[in-house]
Amino acid sequence: MLRYLARKTTGWLLMIVVATNATFFLASWFLDPRSDYRTLRPVRTEAQIDTALAPYGLDPRQPVVDRWWHWLANIVLHFDWGSSPTGIAVNGEIGYRAVVSGELVLLSTALSVLVGVSLAVWTASRQYGWGDRIAQTVSVVLFNIPTAVMALAVVFVAIWLNQHAGMRFLYVAGENSPGVTGFWPVLGDRLLHLILPTVTLTLIGYVGYHLTQRALLLDTLDADFVRTARATGLTRAQAIRRHGLRAALIPTATSVAFTVPAIFTGAVITETVFGWDGMGQYFVETISKNDVHGAVATAAFGAAMTAIGAVLADLATVFLDPRVRVS
Amino acid sequence: MTGTPPPPPATLPHPSPTTPAGAPRPGGDGPRPVLSVRDLRISFPSEAGPVEAVRGVSFDLLPGRTLGIVGESGSGKSATATGVMGLLPPSARLDGQVLLNGRDLVGLRDRELSRVRGRKIGMVFQDPLSALTPIFSVGRLLSDALRVHQDLSRAAARERAVELLDLVGIPDPRNRARSFPHEFSGGMRQRVVIALAVANRPAVLVADEPTTALDVTVQAQILEVLRTAQAETGAALLLITHDLGVVAGYADEVAVMYAGRIVEQAGVRELYRRPAMPYTARLLAAVPTVDAGERRPLLPIGGEPPSLVDLPGGCPFAPRCALAVDACRTQEPPLRPIAGHGTVACVRADDIAAGTLDPVTGPTAAHEQPGDAVDIRPAPEPAAPGAAPGTAPGEVLLRVDNLVRTFPMTRGALLKRRVGTVHAVNGVSFDLRAGETLGLVGESGSGKTTTLLEIMGLRRPEGGRIEVAGTDTADLRSAARIRELRGTLRIVMQDPLGALDPRLPVSQLLAEPLQAIGRPRKEIRARVFELLRLVGLDASAADRFPAALSGGQRQRIGIARALAVEPKLLVLDEPVSALDVSVQAGVINLLAGLQRQLGLAYLIVAHDLAVVRYVADRVAVMYLGRIVESGATESVFADPRHPYTRALLSAVPVPDPERQRGRERIVLDGELPGTPGVFGAPGVSAVPGSPGRAPAAPVGCVFVDRCPLHRTLGPELRARCRDEHPGTTPVPGRADHRFACHAG
Repeated sequence: MLRYLARKTTGWLLMIVVATNATFFLASWFLDPRSDYRTLRPVRTEAQIDTALAPYGLDPRQPVVDRWWHWLANIVLHFDWGSSPTGIAVNGEIGYRAVVSGELVLLSTALSVLVGVSLAVWTASRQYGWGDRIAQTVSVVLFNIPTAVMALAVVFVAIWLNQHAGMRFLYVAGENSPGVTGFWPVLGDRLLHLILPTVTLTLIGYVGYHLTQRALLLDTLDADFVRTARATGLTRAQAIRRHGLRAALIPTATSVAFTVPAIFTGAVITETVFGWDGMGQYFVETISKNDVHGAVATAAFGAAMTAIGAVLADLATVFLDPRVRVS
Repeated sequence: MTGTPPPPPATLPHPSPTTPAGAPRPGGDGPRPVLSVRDLRISFPSEAGPVEAVRGVSFDLLPGRTLGIVGESGSGKSATATGVMGLLPPSARLDGQVLLNGRDLVGLRDRELSRVRGRKIGMVFQDPLSALTPIFSVGRLLSDALRVHQDLSRAAARERAVELLDLVGIPDPRNRARSFPHEFSGGMRQRVVIALAVANRPAVLVADEPTTALDVTVQAQILEVLRTAQAETGAALLLITHDLGVVAGYADEVAVMYAGRIVEQAGVRELYRRPAMPYTARLLAAVPTVDAGERRPLLPIGGEPPSLVDLPGGCPFAPRCALAVDACRTQEPPLRPIAGHGTVACVRADDIAAGTLDPVTGPTAAHEQPGDAVDIRPAPEPAAPGAAPGTAPGEVLLRVDNLVRTFPMTRGALLKRRVGTVHAVNGVSFDLRAGETLGLVGESGSGKTTTLLEIMGLRRPEGGRIEVAGTDTADLRSAARIRELRGTLRIVMQDPLGALDPRLPVSQLLAEPLQAIGRPRKEIRARVFELLRLVGLDASAADRFPAALSGGQRQRIGIARALAVEPKLLVLDEPVSALDVSVQAGVINLLAGLQRQLGLAYLIVAHDLAVVRYVADRVAVMYLGRIVESGATESVFADPRHPYTRALLSAVPVPDPERQRGRERIVLDGELPGTPGVFGAPGVSAVPGSPGRAPAAPVGCVFVDRCPLHRTLGPELRARCRDEHPGTTPVPGRADHRFACHAG
């Protein structure tokens, strides 16, 4: 098992290295940091711009291979991922935003899976019953609402609730309030801020799990082995949970592991609506501001998340289906 | 529960086993039943209206006894079993009473029922391959089943699970408990299912077709295991099966179901000796037998079982019954006791029981289908080897000489390594003449179907020679020549529903092979109706789709389609195994009639030896890719020489309790290698229980690992069996009968 993990991890690390370096070259070719300076007034000369960029390793007069070598050496030696064309360190930005996004993504993913799978179990065992039909309809409707609309709807509901409660307990913007100090107040404050974006992401995210898991479960629900389990004295619900669900969970586990990295950088709209400075926003920002180092670091972060997701997916499969032997 | 089987119960006058209409029997009347079913009614919703699968079934089950419920598909026997267990789908409607030790289970909620299931009633299912949760080890499955009802520690449950595996005859139970279901063969998995059912020592066991999915030699083993488990726990058994032979050998009492009702119930001996319900009698007359009992013609029951939606009044069997009188068609006869017999639902049961009315032949059988008209004569007796009566010894249509087909065994996901070779067919030789039937028999994995496919392929075989109508398939160069030869041999598939395109009407299905060879349209149309007549179907069938036909009719279409281009040789792959007994006999007789009429040669593959005995002139018994014995059917069946043939024949249950219980039975150990979990594969020296070892090439006799004779031999002969492949030896005095055994 450990050997298998080590082998897998090595493979993924290699993949990350290749992907990240390739992204560096692509970004260097397609993103031009000079254009940011050209809009500045008074107008700078090209030489001035290049000189201004030089300390950040972005001087276009230098051959791209040299810049690459400099960038790589810094990462390998100091784990320094460079800085933006305006001199802001990438490390600090990503470190901060990864935590912000992590709060958002991990919680909402966990909730999506929990809600989606439980709803799937509940509806699959009542196939074509009224409960199933209502849940299906709700899910399909939610599935078709664009994220921005959903987020705004959540905001409106929150504001309405706040007004009726006569106090502000649901925060519609930002990841924390300024001026809060002390461990517990900060934690409480952050959690309150987390509620609305998490609700939004969960409402969008659970639908896929509900619908696919329901379909997967229906295949195993009437399986002979579920009937055998009932014959040994389990109730229908117990037999479905212990015998039917476990086998049907494997595809879901795999898909969860692979969607986590996607939401990390893909929750742009939610982040924007709720004013969270997360990874998704950063990714869009770095590209629009020609921030080569920032964009490459985000890509590397995404690759690392994918690798972690893939290894987790393997672990989940082994855990769920002991017949799978890793070697 | 009643009747004569040993040991006899308390000497009581025949207690009516089924009290009609409800009331539980008064106490003090012998042993109290553990399970009483009263007026059980089950219906399923369908688009055409509710399907009344079970319509008022009542029976009692006494402790330690076995009640067999027999019936054809759709008779409601499985629905009864699932109904008793409370495992019907939620959409089903269940009425009546299921009294387990006096407590009514009908109407209990799932939670309450779950405390009964597994603890008081255990169930054995039909298909062992899908009945076990694939992701749990069998030890885990068993200990879970124990811990549902008993307060056991994990370790104690595991220990008990090992004991249970030992009880059901799984070798090396302690280690095997860690294995997953897919690492077991079908028979071994069924043993695990039985262990699960008896884990909590239930008072009642329900077995729904427990051996139907298994080979006959494994079936014999599983029935033994069931007997052991029943003896160990003292449970009463409700044995549900379509196999009249299994019931004859096992049950104490038999209930016959037809169209959702019990139509006859009696002690096993009475029922088989003199069935009083015409349906039972006809069923017994329609089932082929394998042993040397009286050889009688098969009498098919004409028509089809009724649809259970909107059943018309009257006896549901009346339209197919030769004895039906007007009273039968107006009112459904209730089940009533017949003196010295049991209970029968037939207005004429008194006459039949008294022996004044023959339930089988009746006055006439005028409503028989045209194709069955030739049937009432006995199947052809092989007068001389190689020639069927009525036809001159024909030309050799098919000659197979030393045929070899191997498959590579590979391992590894990405880079496949060849770790061994499966000898699916290994040196098979036979020939087949016009007008003759050769039966290829053997268990699954013996290489029968591979042999057929090699012949149908019309290619140069991997090893050996195949000659079709005098042409060596290796010499076939042009596509035109191959097409020409295809006209001489045709195949009929096992599953007619799968083999016929559901989107084509029958007329199209029959016309297709004729269009393919470019016959003119007018001729085709005439030929289609000729073909329908030939297989005993009405011309109106031409416009129907396969889904609208019954199983027997579909198989007739399959045969007609094969006959369309007037082949000389018909290859039949399990032609009747998907059919019910009452329908199967009709198809068997049709095949015999067609052969006489058209001088066809048949190559039949079947696992059902009784069927083969009725249709084949000669048989070849295959085991692990080799023919171990061949010869004229009667010669082989009456005097089998190879130990495998003997075991195989003795394992087939005979539908007659006296003969079945009196027969000497050879229960083979183990299973045919090649099924999952039994490592090794056809033709590869089997190493049971040691997965992972690369199989060696076979050297000695293929049967040596399971051979009961081998163990009794001297050391010298034993070594020969292991190291030297036995050649075939003729049986003295019978030129055609040959077998391959060192010890014979």
